[in-house]
Amino acid sequence: MRMWKEFIKGLWKENAVFRQLMGMCPTLAVTNAAINGLAMGLATLFVLVCSSVIIAIVKNYIPDKVRIPSFIVVIATFVTIADLFMAAFFPDIQKVLGLFIPLIVVNCLILGRAEAFASNNPVKYALMDALGMGVGFTWALTLLGIIREVLGMGSIFGIEVMGVNFTPWIIFILPPGAFITLGILLGIFNAFSKKKTSEASCH
Amino acid sequence: MNNTSRMVVVLLLVGAISGLVLALTFKWTEPMINEIAQSNQKKAILEVLPKAKSYKTMENNNQLFIGYDDNGNEVGLAFIAEGGGFQGDIRMMVGMDTTEEKLTGMTVLSHLETPGLGARIEEDWFKDQFNEKSIEDDFIAKQDVEAITGATISSNAVSNILKNSIPKALDAYRTRGGK
Repeated sequence: MRMWKEFIKGLWKENAVFRQLMGMCPTLAVTNAAINGLAMGLATLFVLVCSSVIIAIVKNYIPDKVRIPSFIVVIATFVTIADLFMAAFFPDIQKVLGLFIPLIVVNCLILGRAEAFASNNPVKYALMDALGMGVGFTWALTLLGIIREVLGMGSIFGIEVMGVNFTPWIIFILPPGAFITLGILLGIFNAFSKKKTSEASCH
Repeated sequence: MNNTSRMVVVLLLVGAISGLVLALTFKWTEPMINEIAQSNQKKAILEVLPKAKSYKTMENNNQLFIGYDDNGNEVGLAFIAEGGGFQGDIRMMVGMDTTEEKLTGMTVLSHLETPGLGARIEEDWFKDQFNEKSIEDDFIAKQDVEAITGATISSNAVSNILKNSIPKALDAYRTRGGK
């Protein structure tokens, strides 16, 4: 079933963070705590789904030469809506993420999906693709956030887990920690999928 | 229609529709956002003046608030202090007891510090160390108050803002006929 296939590919096989290495700026910048990664992922998911659907609907009316500026305006509109909506209904989360929400506009994952998928596929597939990519992005950011928070602050989602004798490795909540964690995770995931493909080819 | 004018029309339409949608969303959320800001300010004032049950905004100065207890006695002064932080301005609500000349509380209203590092100026353990400090204190980070690990600049910024704004607020309060 194609609907399901378009959804599932974003979770692992074409995962935005671990497979395509897209949207690295928010991935590295906001994942110093699990909650920040999760909230950033969800906000990106919202913008990705809304803009992909709108772009898939209007794609035939937009001349090729102005498609990028048109897509960016659509994306920026949804980002601002998400920002205002969160400020009105979830002021606490909006306060934490404040600075990073406007930056969703320049997340190349969103423009990338609009350009590569939504602009030449039917609306229903664009919706499933955006959902899959968004969920894939969200779990990747949350995982990075959990690892960095545990090592850098000794807690997960603000709950202490490492006990009183644990000395936090401050570097993990600082920018270098983002690169170190992402690098190690990419290495592990690459080794894992390489092994899987070579085993599969033997049989 | 030729290609150029079609491009212009499409872009114009995209921009106009987006603008309309945004204007409507803004109109719809604005009252709620303002209300949240108002109630946050009220909460902040009562938080930094633990003895106060109500407060009045000082005439001629909307950054100064005088707290009163149940019997209508003055119990302290709250004021908005702001200044540069690591990445942008830090705005704080500061409460002090004007007779004993000590701080009664401090809370952060808004800031643009790094999440997870400088943003920890919002955490209770950091804010609470300013309670009961004399208003003459220098608040030097790492000496008089504990600094946030990895965010010395943000910690210093808070101390400097306090040090600079306390005399100014006190001055404004006294020259407008306070005790």
